[in-house]
Amino acid sequence: MSPQVEKRTVDMQIIGEWVEPGAKVLDLGCGRGALLDYLVQTKDVSAVGVDLSFSRITACVTRGLSAYQGDMHAFMREFPDRHFDRVICSRTVQELDDPTAVILEALRVGRAVTVGFVNHGFWKNRVDALLRGRKVRNEVYTTEWFESRPANPLTIADFENFCAVKGIRVARRVHLSGNWRTPRVVLPNLLAGYALYDLTK
Amino acid sequence: MTDEIDTPPAPGPAATPRHLAPGEVGLVTPRDFVHPEPFRFSSGQTLPGFTLRYETYGTLGVTRDNAVLICHALSGDHHCAGHHTPEDRKPGWWNNLIGPGKAVDTNRFFVVCANVLGGCQGSTGPTSLDPATGRPYGVAFPFVTIHDMVHAQKLLLNHLGVASLHAVIGGSMGGMQALQFSISYPAFTRRVLAMATTSREGAQAIAFNEVGRQAIMQDRDWNNGDYPKGGGPRTGLAIARMMAHITYVSDASMDRKFGRRKKDGANGNGYTFGTQFEVEGYLRHQGQAFINRFDANSYLYITRALDHFDLAQAYGSLEAAFAAVQAETLVVGFTSDWLFPPEQNRTIAHALLRAGKRASYAELTTDLGHDSFLLESEELYNLVRGFLDRSDPPVFDFSI
Repeated sequence: MSPQVEKRTVDMQIIGEWVEPGAKVLDLGCGRGALLDYLVQTKDVSAVGVDLSFSRITACVTRGLSAYQGDMHAFMREFPDRHFDRVICSRTVQELDDPTAVILEALRVGRAVTVGFVNHGFWKNRVDALLRGRKVRNEVYTTEWFESRPANPLTIADFENFCAVKGIRVARRVHLSGNWRTPRVVLPNLLAGYALYDLTK
Repeated sequence: MTDEIDTPPAPGPAATPRHLAPGEVGLVTPRDFVHPEPFRFSSGQTLPGFTLRYETYGTLGVTRDNAVLICHALSGDHHCAGHHTPEDRKPGWWNNLIGPGKAVDTNRFFVVCANVLGGCQGSTGPTSLDPATGRPYGVAFPFVTIHDMVHAQKLLLNHLGVASLHAVIGGSMGGMQALQFSISYPAFTRRVLAMATTSREGAQAIAFNEVGRQAIMQDRDWNNGDYPKGGGPRTGLAIARMMAHITYVSDASMDRKFGRRKKDGANGNGYTFGTQFEVEGYLRHQGQAFINRFDANSYLYITRALDHFDLAQAYGSLEAAFAAVQAETLVVGFTSDWLFPPEQNRTIAHALLRAGKRASYAELTTDLGHDSFLLESEELYNLVRGFLDRSDPPVFDFSI
């Protein structure tokens, strides 16, 4: 497996540990359905993913998943409070137009919300920016700025601040080092490469 | 659906005949299913029996569960794939989707398509003879609903020995039938593929249907539905078709096809009401082609069936309508469809998911309007193939 694929797998495993067996799961930005496929197979969840592209929905449907093509915020508005046991926002949050609205809506339709994101405060990203003076490019962010989707790079400190300001309860948090494997408890904003949060209202 | 004027030229003597080309189901023969027992319509009216004209492609497997039912739209028929004769210039209306190795693979599936009850292509409808009078039923024919159409097709499938449906597929009115099928026969239906459709005929769609009906009924030759075979309100039916045709396409696709081009020989200054623009000639052709193959009373009955279709009203709510569904459903909307716009297709997926069912929604970007579901599109084929192929539990892989 390439390092990139390995990193994605780690992400899946931790999210999988947080998901209750048989849960009703919504994946915002489900891509080609790899995470949901994993959760269906390991946790027997009933899953639906949301994404914007026809080809990604085709990939999900071909995998046997339920998937919905369209705007995730508009989609969530169609559901009553606490319809889902868990809403997952894995490496999507940095690309949202209105992250506050989406996360609050996810907290309405879901009993719990999992958010996973790359920590742009990780020391390597800081050093990289300092020395190269260029947009971060690494095994996860492989593209030049002009070939990338618009993004709001955020840090662990940014996200902690967001939860505090919005009064969102953090039920669990996991900060992983640069290899996305070893837990990082001390100075996570500087030493962690990846962060996962389990949020409730 | 539209009648296309453009058909490729007939192949030369050396070329492979069209019906024998790879991926073709070949020559097909329609058959009639005669149901000899009384049939009760949703309206409470009954017929002593009925006939459905249908075609099948592929073979029903030993477990009798590989059947795919194709449901046609308002003006469609049972001939959805293959050719009737080697000389046929046009294959069935969904030939691009159905055939050996195609998205709906007839090597794997036993495909069934029937002309709807109330239709005029061989199934019992207003042109059929009323045994009580020996004359065509006309408007004495019972009112037909989407539910009745589906009920009759279920009887056909029973007759063919089908144990369960691998899938039921349809666009537009065919999509309504597909949804209704999974509601009426939940244990019988494993997959629903509904395209360019709605769970509720809206005011705009009813309005268009009403203009079509008025064009027919205001034609003196309609004569309260009492007219000889081959006669009837030809002008009214042609106008109804011309108007309906516009709702099946789009501003962009019409402009691309015709623009403001003038007919050859059209008067240069245009100060005449004769056919000036190519689009006018095209619509007139559509109207004329239609009256040679469609019955005006059938048009009234089937558009009324569309008008009456409202699953939320019929079952209390859309979630209640879908409560019994066991199938997994794929709804496909098309961005330029303004007859049954994407939003109405999404609504179906929302309600199914709220009801806890397995449902997906995909939206194809096209500028061809409502008839986009008939589009030749590899993207659409891949989606359909992917949806139909997922019979085994998916094998986990890590590709993202």
